[in-house]
Amino acid sequence: MAKSSSSDAQALIRSLRSAYAATPTKLKIIDLYVVYAITTAVIQIVYMGIVGSFPFNSFLSGILSCVGTAVLAVCLRIQVNKENKEFKDLSPERAFADFVLCNLVLHLVIMNFLG
Amino acid sequence: MAKPFAALAIPLFLLSVVSLLSLRCGAFSADRPTDRRLLVLVDDLAIRSSHSLYFSTLQSRGYDLDFKLADDPSLALSQYGQYLYDGLLLFSPSVQRFGGSLDLAGILDFVDAGHDLILAADSSASDLIREISTECGVDFDEAISFQDPAALVIDHTSYAVSETEGDHTLIASDIFIESTTILGDEKIEAPVLFRGIGHSLNAANSLVLKVLSASPAAYSANPATKLSSPPSLTGSAISLVSIVQARNNARVLITGSLDMFSNRFLKSGVQKAGSSIKTQSPLLFSFGTALVLRSEKSGNQQFLTEISKWVFHERGHLKEGECMAQVFLSMNFLVKEYSVEIYEWSGSSWKPYVVDDVQVQFYMMSPYVLKTLSTDKKGLYSTSFKVPDVYGVFQFKVEYERLGYTSLSLSKQIPVRPFRHNEYERFITTAFPYYGASFSTMAAFFIFTVVYLYNK
Repeated sequence: MAKSSSSDAQALIRSLRSAYAATPTKLKIIDLYVVYAITTAVIQIVYMGIVGSFPFNSFLSGILSCVGTAVLAVCLRIQVNKENKEFKDLSPERAFADFVLCNLVLHLVIMNFLG
Repeated sequence: MAKPFAALAIPLFLLSVVSLLSLRCGAFSADRPTDRRLLVLVDDLAIRSSHSLYFSTLQSRGYDLDFKLADDPSLALSQYGQYLYDGLLLFSPSVQRFGGSLDLAGILDFVDAGHDLILAADSSASDLIREISTECGVDFDEAISFQDPAALVIDHTSYAVSETEGDHTLIASDIFIESTTILGDEKIEAPVLFRGIGHSLNAANSLVLKVLSASPAAYSANPATKLSSPPSLTGSAISLVSIVQARNNARVLITGSLDMFSNRFLKSGVQKAGSSIKTQSPLLFSFGTALVLRSEKSGNQQFLTEISKWVFHERGHLKEGECMAQVFLSMNFLVKEYSVEIYEWSGSSWKPYVVDDVQVQFYMMSPYVLKTLSTDKKGLYSTSFKVPDVYGVFQFKVEYERLGYTSLSLSKQIPVRPFRHNEYERFITTAFPYYGASFSTMAAFFIFTVVYLYNK
């Protein structure tokens, strides 16, 4: 029983990995970027848990910059992925331009709120 | 960096600032607290010559003495709302009513206005004199005044040996209060001669002090009659000379012996009963008798000189100078700095007052911080401490009361409020990770776009 469940888990992981290896490089770059942003956000939350939330505005702007840019990157990934039927008509350049613009606005707001 | 410099420059500017900062009103100007003009009320002008030694010591120190009979109809302490005298000496124990416009209320107002008073009674003390001293906190022997007005303080163990009077009413006492402010730096070696009535102080009254007390064997009774019941006033409860320092810093001296001030007592030698005759050189004859008593000179002159200096504010008068409270931010904590200068009047000038027990409270309904101020030995006291984490309007309070000194009661208000948005530090150190995270995200975004666009 235990042996089968662990072998099931291993089979699952193997299949996930092989399926992931098949994704295009561009999407993998986006995934890497998202992971980086989320990791940075988690580090900040842990730091706030230790030190306390004294300059709360700085804390919020740090978290928001990481989470916001991660969300925008996820949107880019959805729009650029060729397997999504609903974004077939949206050119990848347009998606990327949206991504860049939104990030610029986001970081402008962050810089102001950072204090 | 500029603060030590400023502290040295402050005494130079003091004289100009003093008149602005003076808190005390009253007889004297705040610049020179020693009294100048004294009114001496006497029963009979012969006192002027029989007590001339004491008066001349006062006059030689620069006081203007004005002698008047106690029932002189032209008597007036104040005119057009201003007091004519800085101090009053009541050497008129038997006066029933003052002349002129003076009365009990007038004298009490005089003291309430911050002026000084010396009151000397004796066995002929009238009700008026007793009432004045009761209002000042000193009770002359009440029971005796009704039954037996001739009561005196009698002490069979520490009387002064005398050839003419053998009833032990002339007592020699050396139980002084311990205070160099009141009695001067030099210890009074000889006992003080006293002949008169005793008084007692209310133990609950914290403003009255016994300067000269009777020995535990003293009691107050009429020496001529036999005692039918135990005397009401006995032992160390009897005070011979008392002082009152009022809350407005008026000083009052009350004693039951006018003879204590007389030339006779000032010049005479004293030999306490039970002590051996000293073989040092005899200073003066006593009581005009043919017998020479080898004895030390009485301590009356030194005692009266020193205590008059205290009563008329030549000594023990404090004043505050520059007082500064400052707030600044240091290492993300609010730090308060407080400094004050205290000066003591030396009879002719203000000298820095150096002790090490002045304390300041940081007070809002109850003290949050109580610190002893550190002194720089030149009269400047300062301290700094971290502000407690409570918002509100605080006061720096210095309440300084010491035996013999005027009481200092200073307070300076200072509000503690949350920071305005532009009063924080520009870059808060605890927020550096957040700054770092935001900038690293921006950098990562830039690198990502480059990599994404130029990836094959």
